[in-house]
Amino acid sequence: MTNKVETSYEKRSKRWKLTLTTLVLALFVTVILSLNIGYAPISFSEILAVLGNQIPLINGGIDPNSFTPINQAIIIDIRVPRILAGVIIGAGLAASGVLYQGVFKNPMADPYVLGVSAGASLGAGLAIVFGAGLSFVGFPIVPTAAFIAALITIFVVYNISRVGTRVPEMTLLLSGIAITIFLSAVFHLLQVIAPSSQLHALVYWLIGGITNVTWSAWWSIFPFILIGIILSYFFARDLNMIALGEDTAQHLGVNTERTKKILLALGSMMTAAAVSISGLIGFVGLMIPHITRLIIGPDHRILLPASVIVGAIFLVLCDSLARVATGAAELPVGVITAMAGGPFFIFLLRRKKLSYRM
Amino acid sequence: MVTLNVNGVECRYGSTKILSDISLEVKPGDFVGILGPNGSGKTTLLKSISRVLKPHGGSILIDKDDIYALKPIDVAKKMAVVPQDSTVGFNFSVMDVVLMGRNPHLGAFQMESPKDVEIARKAMELTNTWHLAGRSIHELSGGERQRVIIARALAQEPKILLLDEPMSHLDIINQLEVMDLVKSLCVQNGLAVLAVIHDLNMAARYCNTVLMLKNGTIFAAGEVEKVLTSENIRSVFSVDAIVRKNLVTNSLNIIPLSPKKASADKKCAIHLICGAGTGTMLMKTLVDEGYSVTAGVLNQLDSDFEACEMLKIPVVAEAPFSAINDETYFANLEMICNASMVVLTSVPFGLGNLRNLDAAKEALQRGIPVYVIDEVPIESRDFTGGRATALMRDLKVGGAVFVKHPSDLPSLLNVSKDKLAGLLEHTALTGHVKDS
Repeated sequence: MTNKVETSYEKRSKRWKLTLTTLVLALFVTVILSLNIGYAPISFSEILAVLGNQIPLINGGIDPNSFTPINQAIIIDIRVPRILAGVIIGAGLAASGVLYQGVFKNPMADPYVLGVSAGASLGAGLAIVFGAGLSFVGFPIVPTAAFIAALITIFVVYNISRVGTRVPEMTLLLSGIAITIFLSAVFHLLQVIAPSSQLHALVYWLIGGITNVTWSAWWSIFPFILIGIILSYFFARDLNMIALGEDTAQHLGVNTERTKKILLALGSMMTAAAVSISGLIGFVGLMIPHITRLIIGPDHRILLPASVIVGAIFLVLCDSLARVATGAAELPVGVITAMAGGPFFIFLLRRKKLSYRM
Repeated sequence: MVTLNVNGVECRYGSTKILSDISLEVKPGDFVGILGPNGSGKTTLLKSISRVLKPHGGSILIDKDDIYALKPIDVAKKMAVVPQDSTVGFNFSVMDVVLMGRNPHLGAFQMESPKDVEIARKAMELTNTWHLAGRSIHELSGGERQRVIIARALAQEPKILLLDEPMSHLDIINQLEVMDLVKSLCVQNGLAVLAVIHDLNMAARYCNTVLMLKNGTIFAAGEVEKVLTSENIRSVFSVDAIVRKNLVTNSLNIIPLSPKKASADKKCAIHLICGAGTGTMLMKTLVDEGYSVTAGVLNQLDSDFEACEMLKIPVVAEAPFSAINDETYFANLEMICNASMVVLTSVPFGLGNLRNLDAAKEALQRGIPVYVIDEVPIESRDFTGGRATALMRDLKVGGAVFVKHPSDLPSLLNVSKDKLAGLLEHTALTGHVKDS
């Protein structure tokens, strides 16, 4: 067995590349397949023709009569941005879940449970109601306000739940719940006092999920989540050390305090970006890193990129399901993720319960 | 080679001073132990040195570089730490954990090379954990995990190793193996070791120099034999201890004694007739119970005599290997008369100490109760041709109380005064009440 261990570690790099390649392919297939799902029946060949027509080098070979302009508009302006929003939001939520779980050394942490999503959505809601049309030093106001509110929330939750240098599950979950309830109450208050013109925008955003994502909305969050994922990856190995304890990480050469602050900020940024166009989507950040960790192990160098892709696949699938689940009316994608995530969360808690026994 | 210097370090939590004016030096090949009771600042000192808790005053240098001015990764290249508590957040394999020791030597996106795997394997072989490599860290016992953590520290290839109570989870054989390993790295590879150690014997056995902390300051520092004295141990740990050189390990052997129980009321005086170690345990027990104990006649160098010295028990002493003479006999008798009872242990009798039996007989005649611990039949410890046996018979006839085992004695003596009042008809106990 000793040789086996050594060779398996020497081949680890190759194995990881294979895993990621497979996942990227799976994501690609998921995206293509989900383009076929929707209220208007559009055949696969027509979808491929519309897509091919968008690609400069091969569009000469596509017969312009193989698709109708209406179907082209449905594909390009409705389905593609919506699916790409599912990709980037799923990726961003999963990545921030990995970061929160890693920094708190706690598999129950996720932006939704910690109240960061609620914070971000309150920030976004305030911006929609009171700051419509404004911008913040060139940045669109809604994601910026969501980001600032998310940062404040994570700071507050962290400091409430911290006991010495540790963040025990109990206090973390409880303070997350308390903050979420408080922020939701403020959000309801906001709905009541909002002028009716803004209320429409607020409700539209709140229940919209990712149904009505436009290309411009997509482009306003894509860079934040992409940069968040890339920057997080620089700290993937540091997250492994932090899992051994903050002091130990320091002993192994990690600047623990700085790393933690950066990662919490990146997690909040990605959550805020996602929430600012989709509203609350629960449990993606909890479930995805968890399932991925069970399958490929806890090493953040593979866990982070793999979770990002699995998160993207998961949210695209959930959104496809949301489109067809009830026949005519579409469900917000958050309903689907919460229906899957709630029971999963309870399952985790029950499994964890053993460790609370003295 | 790398030297660690700690100069006048001071630490506070809020306004409470935890450490003040701590200075020490650890050179290559040194094995320095930090000793001290709970709350004396040992762990705080180790945290300061390991770049986790920045001190409020003073400096900590690795080869003239202040560690708080260095990057954590540069400190980690030279110094490894084995912490006291090592819980791991996620389900990493043992190999993963040990490979993390290579972190300070890896570039930003560099994967561990076969060379790193090889270094980890060697570290695991040294700590006897290679067979665990593929297991999950959560499946291990406390001792196995501790050895894995030590392997991780060794995989760091440090020049300085800090250990915080490295043996707290280990059984005795693992303690010895781990300490032998660290010691050999220290001697052969010039590793500088600084360890917080609770076990004074382990410290005496493995450290070159030790540092005794008391209330956050250095109480004593230097070579083991100069620092680990029973006086220092009493001052720092508030515990009496026997410190002897062990002939097998050639290191100091420290035997701590249970702290005295605060006795509610002063109990009566007991005189012990003992020798050859038969009275040592009893002396300690009686002193702890609050009796005032005297003993005699004992030859100097007798182990019971040494015990008396240590427990500060008044004793009538005779020169080594000499028979009891008139002077010591009467001095002893005087001591017996001041006691409210006499206890005779299962000491062997020869011509040298036979007169102690005469003294016991005399005590009985003067109305002082005598308890005889008859653990070993007198016939098998009588080296006087029957004279001791005869005297013992006289004692029995004269009303001495015979018990089978020394442990019966304290329970007998423990009977409180109130209960004794009801037992007055019991002749053997009447004298007992007289003085108390």
